[in-house]
Amino acid sequence: MSRWQYFLRRVLMSIPVVIFGTTITFALIRLGPLDPVSAILGTQYNPQAAEQIRTNLGLNQPLWSQYFDFMYRLFTFQLGQSWVIAPGTTAYELIQVYAPRTIWLGFWSVLIALFVGIPLGFYAGLNPNTLSDYVASFGGIVWRAMPNFWLAIMLVTALSQTGQWTNGFFTWQTWIVKTNVVTPPALGFFQDPIQGFLADPGGWFNSFLKATKQIAPAALVLGSASMGNEMRIGRTAVLETINSNYVETARAKGVSGRSLVWKHIFRNALIPLVPIITGEAFLLLGGSVFVETVFAINGLGWLFFNAAINGDLPLIGTLMYIFILILVGTNILQDFLYTVIDPRVGYEG
Amino acid sequence: MSTEQPTETRQKGEPILSVENVRTSFYTDKEVIRAVDGVSFDIYRGETVGIVGESGSGKSVTARSIMRLVDNPGRIENGRIMYDGENLLDKKPKQMRAIRGGSIAMVFQDPLTSLNPVYTVGNQIKESLRLHRGMSGKEATKEAIELLEAVGIPDAHRRIREYPHQFSGGMRQRAVIAMALACDPELLICDEPTTALDVTIQAQILELLEDIQEERDLAIMFITHDMGVIAEIADRVNVMYAGEIVESAPAVELFESPKHPYTQGLLNSIPGQGLEEGGRLSTIEGDVPTPNEEPTYCRFAPRCPKAFAECDTVHPVPVEVGDDSTQHQASCLLYPKNLSKEEALDVHRERGAKGGDQR
Repeated sequence: MSRWQYFLRRVLMSIPVVIFGTTITFALIRLGPLDPVSAILGTQYNPQAAEQIRTNLGLNQPLWSQYFDFMYRLFTFQLGQSWVIAPGTTAYELIQVYAPRTIWLGFWSVLIALFVGIPLGFYAGLNPNTLSDYVASFGGIVWRAMPNFWLAIMLVTALSQTGQWTNGFFTWQTWIVKTNVVTPPALGFFQDPIQGFLADPGGWFNSFLKATKQIAPAALVLGSASMGNEMRIGRTAVLETINSNYVETARAKGVSGRSLVWKHIFRNALIPLVPIITGEAFLLLGGSVFVETVFAINGLGWLFFNAAINGDLPLIGTLMYIFILILVGTNILQDFLYTVIDPRVGYEG
Repeated sequence: MSTEQPTETRQKGEPILSVENVRTSFYTDKEVIRAVDGVSFDIYRGETVGIVGESGSGKSVTARSIMRLVDNPGRIENGRIMYDGENLLDKKPKQMRAIRGGSIAMVFQDPLTSLNPVYTVGNQIKESLRLHRGMSGKEATKEAIELLEAVGIPDAHRRIREYPHQFSGGMRQRAVIAMALACDPELLICDEPTTALDVTIQAQILELLEDIQEERDLAIMFITHDMGVIAEIADRVNVMYAGEIVESAPAVELFESPKHPYTQGLLNSIPGQGLEEGGRLSTIEGDVPTPNEEPTYCRFAPRCPKAFAECDTVHPVPVEVGDDSTQHQASCLLYPKNLSKEEALDVHRERGAKGGDQR
């Protein structure tokens, strides 16, 4: 079987997974205690109005017909409108507003985890049982152990008071560019990046810097757990590889230290890291709800949380559907990376 | 290989490798383990020197010491390893890398894991060619195919693009040997190259090594715990016990008249040799001790059927066993045979004191 046939099959096989996931979502939101009608009416609740709204929203239909309607709309990407949070606004529009902030946050937290965690872990693995290894390993455990909601609150507290603590010597809010500690990042410069950059490079760079600084504490918190994870796994993977027979064989044929690390150790050590890295997608989706709330970054996590507590059924369904698609996609990507890195992974079976 | 006239092969010129009184120790929190303790032997061009011993007797560490591949917490503390008139222990890391694979190549025990699983076999052979012979591109590919063909891998031009997991165990060991031969080494160190293979494949690999040796006038240092394999391939045998060489003799002579009680025990514990029908296979009771201190006694004494009081107080040194052979040495207080027991003890005490200064 060729690589492409294999992936076609993987995509086809993921369809039942998506159907299953969305079905569970439907069951949870419809059979659970969520009542969108009460949420819409709020304090002005009266039975006639409630009945009226129920009929309008189609909540009086038999459940199976609602289910098929729900599934049909999702799979044809008619993602519907919000009922409670922003009545009358389509889910598309809401996602367009909220998603970029989450993507910006996720981008930086993945980047921090990848470019700090993995190199640190590899370094520790290549120099085992040295002082720097102990520092990195211990730091990794501590960093990993701090729950992100706690770390987020601590970081907000600390950053807000840097000015007082250092007698005005270093104030986070005014450092490099002026920003607040908790704020949604201003991503306007992203609308038309090339034109914007060409028209006003200085200004564009300034707003890029500002948005990065605004997101940095949140990204650090969100990336922290995965950073610790990747550090630990990276260290173990390198240690395992470095003691393997093929590395010794390579040394015995006179391969130099640098080539040994980059050619023979690095690629093999990446294999166990692949599922860790892709598994972070899940962590980012779940973790962003806390972190976005603490840092007041009104992103997808915040939107999902509010949709859930307000019983905004179509919005929850849509967001869940998107999350499921992202996870399934990440899994396929993971398998793809496996076949690229490790030739032993076959396409059969 | 000329097992028929073993003594003659020794006579021609200088040894290609000469290991002199090498000691390699491992420093653990608990103790210092002298994995190799005062080992000396020579290897001549075109000759196969076997090193036998139980697990933990220091065979592999000897090989790794020669390649300078002893890792932390191990250290080569003493002695000289003379190759081509130069001491390998004085070489800088860069010079050593040129020797590794270039002049001295090594084949490891487990062919299943000694090739990197994520690169093709060809890639790994070509890496050697690039490192030591500066070959690249088409030229290297052509050479790699020739090497694979030389070690008896059919369909080499297709095989070269395959990954190690697509090779069988015997094929992989052939590929590892091809890799080791890529740079025309003068000495090939084989660390139990056939242990992980089944008997028919083992025979093929041994035959292959013999052919290669004949073709290239290669010196081979062959490490194994299998007496049968040693009998088949080696010209000369060094028997190791607890970090020391206890007996050294031409292969035929060693098998015909082993002198050291340990060697005798080893040979007696081979099934089917000297065994009367219905008799029990004899074994050597006990385990190899961990050599963790300066030897002032015979390390084999606790397990030795012929041990006497002085074995606990005098360290035996290699002496000629005393027959007409000048090539047969044993580290045992029972020898030299032509001296009385007291005289023999004096010889060991005297030489031991001299050797002790060097330590």
